[in-house]
Amino acid sequence: MGEIAFIVWRESVEALLVVGILYAWLRTEPAGRRGLPWLWAGVGCGLLLAGALALALLGLATWLPGDGPEWFQAVMALAASALVVQMVVWMRRHGRGLKRELQTGAAQQVESGHWWGLLVLVMVAVAREGSETVVFLYGSVLSSQQHGGVGAAVLAGLGGFVAALATFWLLQLGGKVITWRRFFQLTEILLLLLAGGLLVGACDRLIALGALPTLMDPVWDTSAWLDTGAGLGKLLADFAGYRATPALSQLLIWLAYWVVVAWLLRRAGRTPAPRAVAGGHHVAG
Amino acid sequence: MRSAWRWLAVLAACLMPMAAARAELPTHTLTFTADGRFDPPRLEVEPGRFKIVLVNQSTQAVEFESLPLRAEKVLAPGVTSFVVLSLSRPGEYPFFDDFHPQAKGVLVVKPK
Repeated sequence: MGEIAFIVWRESVEALLVVGILYAWLRTEPAGRRGLPWLWAGVGCGLLLAGALALALLGLATWLPGDGPEWFQAVMALAASALVVQMVVWMRRHGRGLKRELQTGAAQQVESGHWWGLLVLVMVAVAREGSETVVFLYGSVLSSQQHGGVGAAVLAGLGGFVAALATFWLLQLGGKVITWRRFFQLTEILLLLLAGGLLVGACDRLIALGALPTLMDPVWDTSAWLDTGAGLGKLLADFAGYRATPALSQLLIWLAYWVVVAWLLRRAGRTPAPRAVAGGHHVAG
Repeated sequence: MRSAWRWLAVLAACLMPMAAARAELPTHTLTFTADGRFDPPRLEVEPGRFKIVLVNQSTQAVEFESLPLRAEKVLAPGVTSFVVLSLSRPGEYPFFDDFHPQAKGVLVVKPK
């Protein structure tokens, strides 16, 4: 039963960490609070998608033939990483300057386009981990039926989820220990690492599908020092895209990602935020 | 928002044709047994492109996973599925069941 609780905790925590980092990140900036409804919409869409994916995994529904699910996941991951970068850059540019416009409501229409990254990222994280958890629990309950311990299996699953919620809460406490400014920067870096990890994962799928040449595979092999099978290596692999045996194309794409991100952030920091409405309604603050 | 969707549509249009047309591949079978092991625990293959049919005979869900293999597949109880892999470098590629971490195996690509 301990194993059921642990697996549910681990799967839930992966999704809740994404939600938690985003939640903490949004709360640190006045402009970010506007994004909270998009965050919860992402959770809702993610749960719906998780249900659909779980049905597909259970073999009850197959609307995506053959490689379909792989392509779907690869495209979703690519879209999410691109949208996250767009969102972070936008937030960097508008974070503080937008407070007044937000209060007048003038920027409301302009900004909605920038929250899709949030919605898609949350949806992908929740759908992915959620569907796996559903299938895992389904199997656990099914097999415990034969041994007469359904109640215990369900309780263990619930226990795992509650432990994950506690982890989420601990993450939110982080904002109280260090300054908001520092916390904002930290969560921003975590988001960019996460988006880079999604990109590396998408490369893996595309290589497996034969759509992306490896150029050289692997470039190096660090599995003896930091293996991706367990522990720290697995954590870094899941969240930051670490690979013990990366392909050259994958490595180049990852490097290009950071060059583009650095360039975009530098540019966002330099240019002053454009006004939402020219000569807009100014509120003394 | 509109630009994001257009971008997605272009991407999908570019990627889809590549998924089509696939010849008959050498096929191996990997079973997850009722008592929670991989059978065979050591699967030897020739280098190149091949297919592994994954059979879950247990009453629990299984997540076949391996970053070195670039593969991940969740199997519900009793479900059979497959992964297609392309490996040219001889060597050992470990895999495991993410839902039952004690269940491990290794795929061996033989030298040419």
